[in-house]
Amino acid sequence: MAKTDVWQGTLALMILKTLETLGAQHGYGIARRIEQTSGHKLLVNYGTLYPALLKLEQEGYIKSSWGVSDNNRKAKFYQLTRAGKKQVEREAREWNETTAILARFLSPDEA
Amino acid sequence: MKRQDHDEISAELDAHLEAHIEDNLRAGMAPDEARRAALLALGGVEATKERYRAQQRLPLIDACSRELRQAFSRLRRSPVFTVAAILSLALAIGANVSIFAVVERVVLHPLPYPDSGRLVQLDFGLPNRNTPSGFTGVSTRQYFHYAENSRTMSGIAVYWATDFTVTGQGTPERIRVAMTTPSLASVLRVAPEVGGWLPNDKPRGPAPTAVLSHGLWVRRYGADPRILGKTITLEGAPTTVVGVMPASFAFPDARVDAWIPVPFSPSPSPIDDAFNYSGVVRLKDGVSLDTMRAEINQLTQSLEAAAPDHGYGALVSTVLTLQDATVGPIAGTLWILLASAGVVLLVACANIANLFLVRSEARQQEIAIRRALGAGAGGIAGYFLAESTILSMAGGTLGVLAAWYGTRLLVTFGPASLPRLEEVHLAPIHLVFMLALTTAAAVVFAAVPLVRLGQSRVAMHDGTRGATPTRRSHRTRQALMAGQVALALMLLVASGLLLRSFVRLRALDPGFNPASALTFQIGLPRSDYARERAVRTHESILARLRALPGVTSASAVNCVPLSGLGFCGAGALFKDGEPAMPGADAARPLVAMRSVATGFFDAMGMPIVRGRNLTQTDFSGGVLSTVVNDTLVRLAFPGENPIGRRIALYPHRLGANPVWFTIVGVVKTTPTIALDEPRPVAKMYVPMDATHDFWQPTEMMTYVLRTSVPPAGLTSAARNSVNAVDPNLAPARVRTLQDYVDAAAAPRAFTMILILIAATTALVLGVIGIYGVMSYIVSQRTGEIGVRIALGAEPGNVMRMIVRQGGLVAIAGIVIGLAAAVAGSRVIASLLYDVSPRDPAVFAGTSVTLLAIALAACWIPARRAASVDPLIALRAD
Repeated sequence: MAKTDVWQGTLALMILKTLETLGAQHGYGIARRIEQTSGHKLLVNYGTLYPALLKLEQEGYIKSSWGVSDNNRKAKFYQLTRAGKKQVEREAREWNETTAILARFLSPDEA
Repeated sequence: MKRQDHDEISAELDAHLEAHIEDNLRAGMAPDEARRAALLALGGVEATKERYRAQQRLPLIDACSRELRQAFSRLRRSPVFTVAAILSLALAIGANVSIFAVVERVVLHPLPYPDSGRLVQLDFGLPNRNTPSGFTGVSTRQYFHYAENSRTMSGIAVYWATDFTVTGQGTPERIRVAMTTPSLASVLRVAPEVGGWLPNDKPRGPAPTAVLSHGLWVRRYGADPRILGKTITLEGAPTTVVGVMPASFAFPDARVDAWIPVPFSPSPSPIDDAFNYSGVVRLKDGVSLDTMRAEINQLTQSLEAAAPDHGYGALVSTVLTLQDATVGPIAGTLWILLASAGVVLLVACANIANLFLVRSEARQQEIAIRRALGAGAGGIAGYFLAESTILSMAGGTLGVLAAWYGTRLLVTFGPASLPRLEEVHLAPIHLVFMLALTTAAAVVFAAVPLVRLGQSRVAMHDGTRGATPTRRSHRTRQALMAGQVALALMLLVASGLLLRSFVRLRALDPGFNPASALTFQIGLPRSDYARERAVRTHESILARLRALPGVTSASAVNCVPLSGLGFCGAGALFKDGEPAMPGADAARPLVAMRSVATGFFDAMGMPIVRGRNLTQTDFSGGVLSTVVNDTLVRLAFPGENPIGRRIALYPHRLGANPVWFTIVGVVKTTPTIALDEPRPVAKMYVPMDATHDFWQPTEMMTYVLRTSVPPAGLTSAARNSVNAVDPNLAPARVRTLQDYVDAAAAPRAFTMILILIAATTALVLGVIGIYGVMSYIVSQRTGEIGVRIALGAEPGNVMRMIVRQGGLVAIAGIVIGLAAAVAGSRVIASLLYDVSPRDPAVFAGTSVTLLAIALAACWIPARRAASVDPLIALRAD
C-alpha cells in the first residue's frame, strides 16, 4: 500500500496528541513519531509541518524553546500549553464523534 | 526582527535535516545518500521557509495590506482626484497643525519653570476708576509688606524692565535690562548656566552686579568663558558680571539682555509708593488663589493707614496665574484662529467626501458584485476605508511638511507682542494631533459613501438610467454643498468684520502725522550727566540734527505714542481754585506728563487745535506753560475754555509747593499703548527745561525727525550727529513713526490676514465643491435633458433649471451660514473695533458675494447642459 499524505486538517490534532504523549519534542521527533504511530502508513510532509507548528504556536496551543536534543544538537522543542491540553481533548472528542458517525454510515449492517 | 525569524527557521530546519541524516546513517545508508534522502523528505528547504513565513503574517494584516494595495492602484488610476484630494487635505491639515502648534506651545504648554502652575502674577483692579482688573503696578512698600507678612506666598519678586546703555568693549549699545529683586531666581526656580545669580544681600552694595542673558553674552562678549567677575559699564556705572542665564530663560520677556538688582532706596521716599514694579509670586503648597487674593486685600488695606492718599485703599487684588497673565490676552485670538483652520478642514473634508460619493456611485456595480460574492459590511467598509486611509495619510504626511513651514512662517511673521513665540516649534504632541485629524478625516470620507450605499440596494442590473435612483445621492451631495457654503460664509463674515475693523482702525486719526518721521532713543548715562547738562546735550544734538539736509524739523520727547512705554510718568490732576494738594485720591484723573524739546508739535505733525504752540520763551523759564490734549480738556474742563487755566500734578513739587503750569494750547489726543483705546490718556506737554527740577525724564528722550526725504536714509547721518556730541551715546530703537503705528496694528493685521486666508481657502474649496456637484448632476441628467430638448425645451430654460437647482442649495447654505454667523460672531467681538458683530453691511455684502460666486459656479455646468445635443445624449445610454 502506498503511503498517504497526512489528511488536511488532521495534522494539527496529530501534533497536539503527539506532544501530549511525548511531552516536549522537536519538529523532526514529532514527524517521526507520527509516522511510527501510523505504522508508517502516513507520510508527514515536513514542509507543511513547520508552518503548522507556527500556526499552533500563534494560536497559543503550544510553546517553543531552544534546547539540546538526544544527540547533543541544538533544536527547537515544542510542548503543549494549558490551552493546548484542552484543545487536544476537545478535538479528539469531536474527531471521535465524527468517525463514529461516519463508521455507522459505512457499516454494511446499517442499511 | 525579520532577520531573526529567518535565522530561526533556518536553524530549526538544519537541526531537522541533521537528525534525519543521522537516522538514515544508523539505518545503514551511505553518507551521500543519507543526506539526499533527508533533503528529499523535507521537500525543498526554501519552499518550506516561504510557507513558514507566509504563516507568520497575521491574516488581518494580510487582508489589510491586500485591500490597501488594491486601493492604491485604484487611486493611481484617477490621478486628478487623488492629487486634488491629497493637496487640499495637506493644506488644511498643515494649517491646523501649525496653528495648533502655536496654541499648544503658547497657551497650553506650562511656562518653562518648575511647578509653574503655582506662579502667580500680582494684579489689581481699581473698581472706583472703572478698572476691574489689569493694574499690575506694585510699589516698593507693597513688596516689603507682602514679603514680611504674607503667609500664602512662598516667595515674591518684583521687577521692572527698562533700557540701559552698555559702553566699553565695542560700540555703545542700548540693551534691555530687568531690574529685579534677587528673589526672582528662587521664585521662578531657575539657575544660571554660568556663575551665580544676583547676590541676595545689599541691593545697593558698593559693587553693582549684573547677570547677562545668554543672547547678550554670545552677541557682545563672544561667549567669553572668563566673563565672570569682569566689569562692564552699564549706564556709565562699572558693574560686575556674576552670571549668565541659559538661553531658555526669558523673563519677563524674550528681549531682556541682563538682570540687575532693583535700586531700592535705603530709607523710605515718595518713590516707594509709586507703582513702578510688576510682581511675581510663588504660591505656597495647598493655598488657593482665592485665599491669596483675600490675604493680599487685607495686607494692602492695612497699607492705607501707613501711607494714606497713595491709593492703596482703592486696590482690589485680582491675582491670576502667571500663565494666564502671560498668554491670557492672546489665548482667545489663537483659539479663534484654530477654529477657523478647523472650518477650512471641514470644507476640505466635505469636498473630498463629495468626490468619494461620485466615485462610489460609479462603482455601484462593482460593489454590488462584491456583495453578491459574499463581501460583508466589513469588506465594503474596508474598500472605502483603504482609499480614505491612503488619501488622508498622504495628506497628513504632506500636511506635517506644510505645518513645519507654517509654524516657521507664524514665528517669523507673528507680531512681536505675541508672547512665548520663541518657544514655538513642532513637537511630538503636534504629530499626535495630526494623526487624530487624519484618522477623523479618513473615517468621515469613508462614512459618507458607506451610509449612502447602506441605504441603496442597487442590484447588478444596468438600470441606472434616468434620475430616480440617484435622487437620494443628489440629496446627500446637496447637503454637503450647502454645508460648505454655510461654513465658507461663516469665515467670510468673520474676515469681513475684521477687515472692516482694521480699515476703521487705520482710518483713525492718531492725532499726529506718522508719515516721513524718523525716531530713535538717546539715553544719557546718569553718572555723566547732571540734569542741566542733560538738557543742554539734547539741545546741542537737536541743533546738529536740524542742520542735516532732508530734516525739516527735529525735536525730542520722553515718550512717543505707541512706543510701548505706557504712561511714562503720570500724576493726579489738580486745577487752580482747588484747595492745596491734599494727595492723590482715586477720583482725580490720571494725567501723563510729556517732557518735550522745542519744535515738538511741528516734528510730530500735531496741529494745535486751540490756543498757541509752545514758544522759545516758554523754554527759557519764567511762567511755566503747557499744551494739553483734548482728553484732558474733556475730563477737567468740560464746556469751559481751558486756555489760561492753571493745572498741577500730584506728587510733583518744587520745595513744598505744587508745580503749576498755565495752559496755553490744546492738541488732539494721541494713542498711548494701543491704536484703539477705550479710555484715552489725558496728557500735558511741558518744556523739558521746566521738568528737570522736580522730575528726571530727560535722561532718556526719543528724538523725532520730520524729513523731506525717505526717513530711513537719514539713520547714519543722525548717528554721526549724535556721536559728534558724545561718542559714547548710542541711538536705540531706530524706527519711523509709521513703524510704531504698524506695530500697534500688527496683532490685528496678523489675525485678520490669517482669517482672511482661511476664508479665501474655504471659499475656493467651496466653489470647487459647488462646481463639482453641479457638473456631476448635469452629467447624470444628460439623458433627461436630451429628452427635454428633443421635446422642445428652450436652452435658456434648461440653463435656468440647472442654475435654479444650484442656487436654491446655495441659498439654503447661506441661510444656515448667516444663522450660524449671527450666533457665532459674538466670539470675535473682542477682536472688533468700531464694528458691530452683527454689522449688516458685512453680513449682506458677504452673502451677496458668496451667492454670486456660487451662481457663477453653477452657470458653467448649466451652459453645458443647455448645449446638450439630444441625439448624442439619447444615444449615450
